Amino acid sequence: MKYESQGIAKMYFIAAIGLFVGQILFGVTLGLQYVMGDFLFPAIPFNVARMVHTNLLIVWLLFGFMGSAYYLVPEESERELYAPWLAKLMFWVFLAAGVLTILGYLLVPYATLAEMTMNHLLPTMGREFLEQPTITKIGIVIVVLAFLFNIGMTILTGKKTVITLVLITGLIGLAVFFLFAFYVPDNLVLDKYFWWFVVHLWVEGVWELIMASLLAYVLIKVTGVDREVIEKWLYIIIAMALISGLLGTGHHFFWIGTPDYWQWVGSIFSALEPIPFFMMTLFAFNVVNKRRRDHPNKAAVLWALGTAVMAFLGAGVWGFLHTLAPVNYYTHGTQITAAHGHMAFYGAYVMVVLTMISYSMPIMRGQKAANERAQVLEMWSFWLMTVSMVFITLFLTGAGVLQVYLQRYSETPLPFMVVQDKIEIFYWLREVAGLVFLIGLLLYVYSFFAKGKEVEDIGAAVTS
Amino acid sequence: MNANNQHSKLQLKNAANAALASILNLTLLPVIGFIALYLIYKKTTPNNIDHYHAVLGMKINIIAAFVLFVVSGLMILLGGFNSPWTWVYVISYFTIVHTAFIVIALWALVRSWSGDKLKSNQ
Ligand code: HEM
Ligand code: HEM
Ligand SMILES: [Fe+2]
Repeated sequence: MKYESQGIAKMYFIAAIGLFVGQILFGVTLGLQYVMGDFLFPAIPFNVARMVHTNLLIVWLLFGFMGSAYYLVPEESERELYAPWLAKLMFWVFLAAGVLTILGYLLVPYATLAEMTMNHLLPTMGREFLEQPTITKIGIVIVVLAFLFNIGMTILTGKKTVITLVLITGLIGLAVFFLFAFYVPDNLVLDKYFWWFVVHLWVEGVWELIMASLLAYVLIKVTGVDREVIEKWLYIIIAMALISGLLGTGHHFFWIGTPDYWQWVGSIFSALEPIPFFMMTLFAFNVVNKRRRDHPNKAAVLWALGTAVMAFLGAGVWGFLHTLAPVNYYTHGTQITAAHGHMAFYGAYVMVVLTMISYSMPIMRGQKAANERAQVLEMWSFWLMTVSMVFITLFLTGAGVLQVYLQRYSETPLPFMVVQDKIEIFYWLREVAGLVFLIGLLLYVYSFFAKGKEVEDIGAAVTS
Repeated sequence: MNANNQHSKLQLKNAANAALASILNLTLLPVIGFIALYLIYKKTTPNNIDHYHAVLGMKINIIAAFVLFVVSGLMILLGGFNSPWTWVYVISYFTIVHTAFIVIALWALVRSWSGDKLKSNQ
């Protein structure tokens, strides 16, 4: 660790991992409720558990992004963080807001929560992923603004690199698009429009910039490849992400009461969206192929390559699968969507945060890389989580294809719940895969405590 | 580090183009990509890196075509066009196997850029 203030990332990462465990515990609960409808009812109904699952995901990814930025920016800018105290303070504010909100979801009925938090003054509650009480949303804005100010000043007063510029652009975009969460028109069509301006423009727009810059940073560190090469890639990737992603929003405007032309605009531009993900894979493979040295942190290299492949698979391939209007006509809002949502979120954003953690955590703990046994365990957890996510996706895809066929395609369509009964086997299988995922995650947590033989920093040139 | 310097610029360029044509055939430009690949192949001479990548690309694509179309076709024939289960298997199978081939071809492209074969010779 070159700068002391980079160490602030550690508390962010610990919180992120803690909330990640929570997210998955609720995930397996949901999975069980799918097949045993009254499991934990009425204590934790499905809709509440679902809200906790998705909100925890978003919150811990934000912790992960912030921690990553606090680690990366000082080193790139070659100076200490502008205001370390602010970063520490905001950590506790964000954690308190997050935990209180989750407790609110679990302990009081949602409508009561809305009343308690005076939602009527500025109603913003009730939209998927953005269910937080208005006051929590305001808290998020404050935390994010303080965060942007902090790393923005660090970048402005320090050395500017392409990586930090791409990162801050992505983070500013994240903040700006979140503002649409405060605008909830009464007209349901407009309401959906603005909801997608947050959700889609995040994951298929500005978050891609964050992802590309984090990946580029770790790849430079673990391969020793020249910056110039990496910077050229970054430019093309972000250009492709924005060109395809902005108008690609149209793939959510096919059937919500919007004009017809969206079917063309959405189909064409979103069909280009796999390209930036494809390029990230190409980029990661290329850099690792040209590496100047073998970094002792093998786990981090594995995570970086895994991110590149899984993001392409989840976002690129599974996204393309249902993005053309004539296909989406049948698949809209089915298990195909859930299959894609899981693999894309995991492959892109979960994995890129875990890549950053894998690279930086040992350094913050005073080692170049984790000890051999810890790395082996971490790599096991990589495979357990990644393979089980592939299976979750496959089972949901199977469920989705059957659902589409029986409920929407067949000449004698069956009612929703009748179909759900017929595809139950897939939900059982998904639950089993989910439990394996949980085991992988617990192993991941354990790997931080595993003792073993320290790795030597050979730093040797690659001989092949 | 790599065998870059043993190949002429032209060979490297041909190798990269062959690998690119191979990916295009697997993704955006099926058939056209293969024709391009074949034309590049004709320009190469055995034992050179461009020849290697042209042949590799053709192998990947022929195997992919076989594994994807023949196996999916068999699934449809045996399972029946009107059975929902057929489509569960065909779509899952096609998507995952197709991606696997794209990822292999991607790696081949990256290796061709540095003038290497798919696997490094120890
Ligand atoms: C890492 C990037 C991505 C993430 C995290 C992601 C995540 C998601 C999620 C969670 C949903 C469900 C939203 C909801 O209705 O609740 C969704 C929907 C969708 N995504 Fe993505 N996605 C990503 C990239 C892509 C890409 C690149 C494409 C297209 C090539 C795509 C195409 C779609 C489509 C068409 C839908 C709507 C499905 C429907 O009609 O039900 N996504 N995505
Ligand atoms: C890192 C891993 C995971 C991520 C990133 C993730 C992400 C998500 C997302 C984005 C949604 C909303 C989907 C949509 O709107 O289409 C969701 C819903 C859900 N997740 Fe997860 N999830 C993960 C792990 C799990 C696990 C392990 C299980 C359990 C087996 C699970 C079970 C569910 C269920 C049952 C739903 C509700 C689907 C519905 O409403 O029909 N998730 N998850
Ligand atoms: Fe989208």
